[in-house]
Amino acid sequence: MKYALYLGCTIQNEQYGCEISARETFPLLGVELVDMEGTSCCGLPAFSSLSTLGWWYLSTRNIAIAERKGLDILALCNGCYESLVQTKHNLDKDPDLQKMINDKLSVEGLEYAGTSQIIHPLSLLHDVIGVETIEEKVERPLKGLKFASHPGCHAIRPSILGMPDHPEHPQKMDALITALGAETMDYPEKTDCCGSMLASAAASTTLTITAEKLKAVESYGFDGLVTTCPFCFQMFDGRQGEINDMIDFLLDTEPDEVELPIFYYTQLLGLALGMKPDRLGLQLNKSPVDRLLGDVEEGLDN
Amino acid sequence: MVKKVKLMSSDINETEVRFISMMLTRLVGEMNATVCEQCGKCASGCPVSRHMEDFNPRRIIAKISLGRMDEVLESKVIWTCTSCMKCMERCPENISPYDVILVLRNLSVRAGLSHPESLDKTIDAVVGSGVTREPVTLRTRAGELHDRGSLGLRSMDRPQDMEEFREALLSILKAGKLR
Repeated sequence: MKYALYLGCTIQNEQYGCEISARETFPLLGVELVDMEGTSCCGLPAFSSLSTLGWWYLSTRNIAIAERKGLDILALCNGCYESLVQTKHNLDKDPDLQKMINDKLSVEGLEYAGTSQIIHPLSLLHDVIGVETIEEKVERPLKGLKFASHPGCHAIRPSILGMPDHPEHPQKMDALITALGAETMDYPEKTDCCGSMLASAAASTTLTITAEKLKAVESYGFDGLVTTCPFCFQMFDGRQGEINDMIDFLLDTEPDEVELPIFYYTQLLGLALGMKPDRLGLQLNKSPVDRLLGDVEEGLDN
Repeated sequence: MVKKVKLMSSDINETEVRFISMMLTRLVGEMNATVCEQCGKCASGCPVSRHMEDFNPRRIIAKISLGRMDEVLESKVIWTCTSCMKCMERCPENISPYDVILVLRNLSVRAGLSHPESLDKTIDAVVGSGVTREPVTLRTRAGELHDRGSLGLRSMDRPQDMEEFREALLSILKAGKLR
């Protein structure tokens, strides 16, 4: 199994834990990741808002680079995934649009033909590699830990694009969590947005949306939250401290501070496969993951 | 149904006109008071409507259906959508407030109305370097500093010939009167 790895901007410029843990774990499951050469931003959300044609151009350009390598694309970021899938959908049904974009792509010697498919990590892990294969490879089951799954909006909606999981009742990440020996359960806010895309227009509302979800997840007794999306992770993990600094302002309920460990799925996967936390970029998580890491290491010793 | 949009530039590129009218016909042209029943499923699932009184996808669709597009464009509400897409997923009439908002954002730019400055900065960064932002140095929980190199990651991928990349991208953006 071989895929062109499309990382996009956010993973490469700050979400290193996402990239490291993916590069470390996928090869252990038989997936060869091939680096793409010459990619750019996917266009979401700035270009999609101000110049939709510019957005489609950028996404098509990145797909064309993978086509040149003759490979399907693994898009690690939910935003990039959505962007590439939506663009491919539009181009494949509109030859005029495809021609218009190909005219410009020729400046860089690129051409879109529609030969590469785009896959999300959830689909690759659940549908292609398979839950049973992952179960068999687990060396250090994450016993006694219960994680909330947060697939993120752009992994499940819109369903008309054939997204990796059900828009209202996604279950694949849950199955992938239990494959690692951990527990999970449904919760009412599971498919709710992290608020990330509101940051440029309404800074404090963004944090309120994130804070509400974090508090809800904590209130159900989860030990942590798991996602694959770098935007959601950045909100839940990277900005958890900022949320705590102003939690009285953000929420009406006189809440305690949030103390919720946040993980990329590939980080949890790596731990269960027996890897050291630093090889999975876990030293970079800002949320309080240390206590859980202690539990996991103990599990290995026993 | 679509009327009263006061576009500032009269010489919009033909490609863009074709694109915008295609989008509007597909999304807005078919939409009128008999299509949207104002059931409110879009607004009830909306994470922003819960917190910001001004933002309500049901109301945006109502105004567009009544031909009050200029009113929507001139308010700032179209910029406060999180793009979660619950509205389009839940609409029983297959209307997508999310897609309508994206078209309205594009149209607002073409009409010379204001939008969040950060979006322009991102566009400038991508035109300049191919990516939204350069990689940052991060601090671990133990206080160590790390960049891509010290973590063993290859340098950030970007277009190989920036001149060619920029030429093609700018010609697309100029067609949309963005740069």
